[in-house]
Amino acid sequence: MTRVEIILIMGLMAFAVRALPQLFFVGRQFPDAWDRLLRYLSYAFICSIVSITLFMTGTRFDAEAAPYRGLALAVTIFIAYKTKRPVMGMFAGALLVLVVSRLR
Amino acid sequence: MLFSARFRQGMRAAVPIWIAFVPSSIAWGIAAQAHGLTLQEILLMSALVYSGPAQFAVLAPLAEGKSALQVLIAGFLMNLRFLPMSMTLAPFFRGVKRLPLALASHVVSASSFIVPYLQFEKERESNTNKIQSVEGDRNLAFFVGVGATSLLVWIAGTGIGYGVALGFPPGFEEALKFILPGYFAGLLAVEMRDRVVALVCLASLLAAVPGALISPGWGWLITAVLVATLGWGLKARK
Repeated sequence: MTRVEIILIMGLMAFAVRALPQLFFVGRQFPDAWDRLLRYLSYAFICSIVSITLFMTGTRFDAEAAPYRGLALAVTIFIAYKTKRPVMGMFAGALLVLVVSRLR
Repeated sequence: MLFSARFRQGMRAAVPIWIAFVPSSIAWGIAAQAHGLTLQEILLMSALVYSGPAQFAVLAPLAEGKSALQVLIAGFLMNLRFLPMSMTLAPFFRGVKRLPLALASHVVSASSFIVPYLQFEKERESNTNKIQSVEGDRNLAFFVGVGATSLLVWIAGTGIGYGVALGFPPGFEEALKFILPGYFAGLLAVEMRDRVVALVCLASLLAAVPGALISPGWGWLITAVLVATLGWGLKARK
């Protein structure tokens, strides 16, 4: 399957998730417990993505880069939390990674 | 409906969303370009999927040529959050025909859900909105005014991001690669309020790498589902 085909199917699936509740479940709501599970699943998934994208290359753990990338992640979280601006935190972390990777 | 007073009201309400979308969409364009996606693929995904977290989530597996099923499941899990959002908005569109309702639902996103929802709730509380058929159409016009214009900003921003990334000199790959996890981490830091959610995040962050080392394709997905379920159980016991 090509990347474009995968993207097209992803788009259809995203559309189904958005449209079906409006078309078939008008006036009803998910029970709180289900709503919570969906939310936790999203958070767990996002954090797992952060972890593997940051600390792994393919199937290999980047042991050498892990310390400064972890530090950049901590800086990102701190700045985003303090300023309430995720993009500012992101750019601060990226800058730190850039500087440290050039110094090494 | 297009350019009706209600649609324009939605557009005005969407201005803060446009501003917020500019850096995020550019970040996505930069990250996607750094992962080797073409401009066509990037724009197509922004137009059809229209979900920052899902687009970022599938970026690495898609670029690395992982199995289509894995990419699709990853995207689907990320987009599941639209289910309750879409359901919450549905009562406000009572009486709207199914086709326009289905088409408009494409622009449901976290931001384009919150702004109309709060507006409709405010109007309902002030008794100006009885959610009759005619109000359903007016509400849909407002919603599309918010959502469709935000979608356009998102698509344009990704294209700009792609162009920006092409202009970067060599040696910036490490910083560009950080944009994806950095953006996610920043979003989480701002939005996280619940202690159980914080615990779920920390546990997923720690468990994902060992999971991926055991099973490169599915390990981190399984650990994420396990951690979320444990967190859910923990919250239910409280």
